[in-house]
Amino acid sequence: MMIHEEICVGCGRCHPYCPTAAIRYSGLKSAIDQDICYECSTCLRAAHCPVDAIAESPNVFDYPRALRRYFSDPSSTHAATGIQGRGTEESKTNDVTRRCGPKQIGVAIEIGRPTLGMSLLDIQKITRAIARAGVHKIEPHNPIHSMIANEATGDLKPEMLGERVLSAIIEIQVERDQLRGILRTLKEVAKEVDSVFCIDAFTVVEPGLKIPEEVLEIIRAEGLTWRPNAKINMGLGRAWE
Amino acid sequence: MTHSLHREGNLDSLERDYVLFIYPARGFNYKGSAPKVRRLVELLYQVGPVNMIPTSLRRNMYSGVKPEEILESITVDGTRVYSVFNDREKLKKALIALKEADVGISIMVSGIIDRVRDISAELGIDPHMVNLSLGIHGRTDRLPPADIREFTTMCGHGVVSPHLVKDMIRRVKTGKVSEWDGSVLLAEPCTCGIYNPCRSAELLREKAPLYTIDRW
Repeated sequence: MMIHEEICVGCGRCHPYCPTAAIRYSGLKSAIDQDICYECSTCLRAAHCPVDAIAESPNVFDYPRALRRYFSDPSSTHAATGIQGRGTEESKTNDVTRRCGPKQIGVAIEIGRPTLGMSLLDIQKITRAIARAGVHKIEPHNPIHSMIANEATGDLKPEMLGERVLSAIIEIQVERDQLRGILRTLKEVAKEVDSVFCIDAFTVVEPGLKIPEEVLEIIRAEGLTWRPNAKINMGLGRAWE
Repeated sequence: MTHSLHREGNLDSLERDYVLFIYPARGFNYKGSAPKVRRLVELLYQVGPVNMIPTSLRRNMYSGVKPEEILESITVDGTRVYSVFNDREKLKKALIALKEADVGISIMVSGIIDRVRDISAELGIDPHMVNLSLGIHGRTDRLPPADIREFTTMCGHGVVSPHLVKDMIRRVKTGKVSEWDGSVLLAEPCTCGIYNPCRSAELLREKAPLYTIDRW
């Protein structure tokens, strides 16, 4: 994003809207730090500049900077997947797709969330750690998959590493007996990154929304806990195509 | 993904915050889904969500869009709908309506697991899968304070800025906006439409007295 200096009246109204505090005063006018800006377009969409000084950067869709827009603006359609959003349908349609079976666990690593975002260099630390743990298959419909240069090592395409995104999701699927190893890996790599990520674990439940005790025991064994609120697939879907 | 499983806050506050998604599955029930999704949205409107957005029209209920515009935008197969309800009984009524409609589109609910379990048992619904939040990891020292995150995590993509929340607390405290108007302003950046302005107004009422502000 950019602010036309000749139009800006320096009211500062847009400053608090930026999730990453990239809008600051430069003299008496507001300006956007291009290194920090995620191209999420929140300032353009919601700040209602009284003089319409906020605009798209001319290079917003240049590769690799375009990654910032695709991953950070929720309303943008990702070029690699053709859908909006940073993840896939994952648990949301599993009652129909059955992608994750009863003995498998889906794990999603919500990168940069909440709010902080993350550099691609840090994301690569996570993809490499997952690869070292023996998981080489990131969900193929997830946009992160298209950024992997080497599945065996988890290396991302090198030209992307200077970019940063407000959020991204790495989705993998493991057998139950692999879950503990992955959780341990994520706890370790959390010490290496300069930002945050959230961990999601999704599993098919037993009748009565009973979470399999074996899964909970694995989570406890790694010293983790789960929030009292969760996302629940109500099991009302069915396929017809 | 809307991050809705990571909404922060105490249990009392989360009791008034349930997110409901309508989600066709690509390759399984996409084709012909648009009229079914539209029907479900009509049913949701009768229950009274506090926010809602279809992916066909990325404008939430507080952006000046009329309910008819939301419904008329749902013409493309695969349109997904995100909505929020601010109490358990409304969620229950919504689920009764969706179950009776029986259109076969996946429905997700984000909320307190025990409450969703109770409602499911009451309605004879057998949930299929749970997505658990195992917390935030890494440089948690860089995060905004927990009370600010209660607002910001209502927008999963992180575009409700912690700085805007602090600014809104200042504006409420100085009488420049009401808690409700401030919450509608906070909801605006959230294009996935799951920011709960009712809960946000409660939070502004609760937090504003705790903050010291510069009157300038």
